[in-house]
Amino acid sequence: MSTDKTTATKAVTETQQIARAQQGDEAAFEALFSAHKRRVYSLCLRMTGDTAEAEDLTQEAFLQLFRKISTFRGESAFTTWLHRLVVNVVLMRLRKKGLQQVSLDEVDSSQEEPVKRDYGDDDRRLIGSIDRIILDRAIAALPHGYRTVFVLHDMEGYEHNEIAQIMDCSTGNSKSQLHKARLKLREHLRRDQRKRSGEAPREPKRESER
Amino acid sequence: MPANHESGSDAAKALCRQFDQELSAYLEGEDKPEVLAHAQQCPYCGVLLTDLEQIRFASHHLPLEPPPARVWANIHASLEAEGIIREQVPAWHRWLPRLGFLPHSAPVGALACLALVGLTLLVSPRSYETPGDVEWLPASGKTTAAGAFVPVLDDELTRILAEMESVYRSRESFLEPALKATYRKSLASLDASIQETRVHCQREPGNTLAREYLVNAYQSKVEVLASALEFVAR
Repeated sequence: MSTDKTTATKAVTETQQIARAQQGDEAAFEALFSAHKRRVYSLCLRMTGDTAEAEDLTQEAFLQLFRKISTFRGESAFTTWLHRLVVNVVLMRLRKKGLQQVSLDEVDSSQEEPVKRDYGDDDRRLIGSIDRIILDRAIAALPHGYRTVFVLHDMEGYEHNEIAQIMDCSTGNSKSQLHKARLKLREHLRRDQRKRSGEAPREPKRESER
Repeated sequence: MPANHESGSDAAKALCRQFDQELSAYLEGEDKPEVLAHAQQCPYCGVLLTDLEQIRFASHHLPLEPPPARVWANIHASLEAEGIIREQVPAWHRWLPRLGFLPHSAPVGALACLALVGLTLLVSPRSYETPGDVEWLPASGKTTAAGAFVPVLDDELTRILAEMESVYRSRESFLEPALKATYRKSLASLDASIQETRVHCQREPGNTLAREYLVNAYQSKVEVLASALEFVAR
C-alpha cells in the first residue's frame, strides 16, 4: 500500500475512532491512546528530562484530551491539536514549578553562560553516529529554556514563530536559544567523547592565547 | 593546522567570527553561501558545522519511548470514575446523528431497514427461504431484488443504499485523490463481501454465521458511506 493510501486510511480510521470516543467508546479511547502514546510520552520526557514527571504529564495530557474530545470538530489535524495540548500541559507544569521562564526575553541574559567558541581547538568531529543514550542525557542536561526550544524546534518540528507564541518571546530569541542549545549539546557530546577515549578534558583557550 | 588559526591573523579570526554570526541563520535554512564556503576552507568551522548538522539529524531521529502500562491503567480508571467511558449502543446507532446533512429519510431509512433485515435474518433463520432461486437482497445497491418474503424491505433498502451511494458518487470529486481511492476500495471490497455472503446464504439457508456476516457487511457499507459523506460535506 502506498504512503498516501496508508495516510488516508489512517485518517479515516482516526476520524472514526474520534467519533466513537466522542460517544464514550472505551475501545476508541484506548486506540487513540495507543496511536499517540509514544510521541506524547517522549515529548513529555524530553521536555522535562524526568521519567516520573513525564508519566504524570502524559496521563494529565490524555485525560485533558479525552475530557475535551467532544469539542473536537476536525478544523485542525487531530495530531496538531493533541501536541499543542501536550506542550501547554508541560509548560503549565514547568511554570508552576518555577522552572520554566515565563518569557524567554526576560531571562535570556540569565541563562547559563553561553558556549564560547574555542578557536584553535582540535578539529576532530564527533565520531560516527551519535549515541542515542548520551544524546538523550545531553538533552536532559540542557537548561530548561534551551531544552524547551530545542525539543520544540529540532525534535517536534515547530517553527520559530510558533515557539515565540507559545513561549511568549521574540522569534529572534527563539533562534538564539536554539543555537545556544545546539552548541551546548555539542560541547556535552565532545566532552563525553573525550572522557570515553580517556583523554583529559581540555580547558578552553583564552583569547590572548589564540 | 589550518592557515586561519595557525596564523592567528586578525583577518582569519574575523572570518571565523563572521561564520559564527551567520551559522545559526544558515542552519535555519537561510541562503548563506559564505558560510558553506568558509566551512570548506576552515577545518575548525567545517567540523563545527558538521557536528551541529549531525546533532540536529540525530535528535530528530531519536526513537520514541513508550510509557509504562500503568499510565493507561490510570487514565482508564479516571475515565471510568468521571463517567467519560459510557456503555455502548449498537454500532449503527452511532451513525445516526452524523448523517444530519443528508435528507433524513435516506440514512434513517437505511438504518431502519438494516435493523429489520438483521432482525429477520438472525431471529427467523428459515423465514426468508423463498420459492425458487430468487434474489432477495441487493448486492451493492444497484441490484433489483424480487424476493417473495421481504420484497418491501429489499426494495426499500436497495433504494436507500443506492441513494446514499449516488449522493456520495456525485460529491466524491471533492475528496483528496488518496482518500477517494481508499473509499472506493473499501466500498468495492464490501460489495464483494455482500455478494459472496449472499451466495452462501442462498446455498445454506440455515447458516447463521453467513447471515451474520451479511448483516455486518451491510452495516459496514452504511458506515463507510456515512463516513465518506461526512468527509465530502466538510
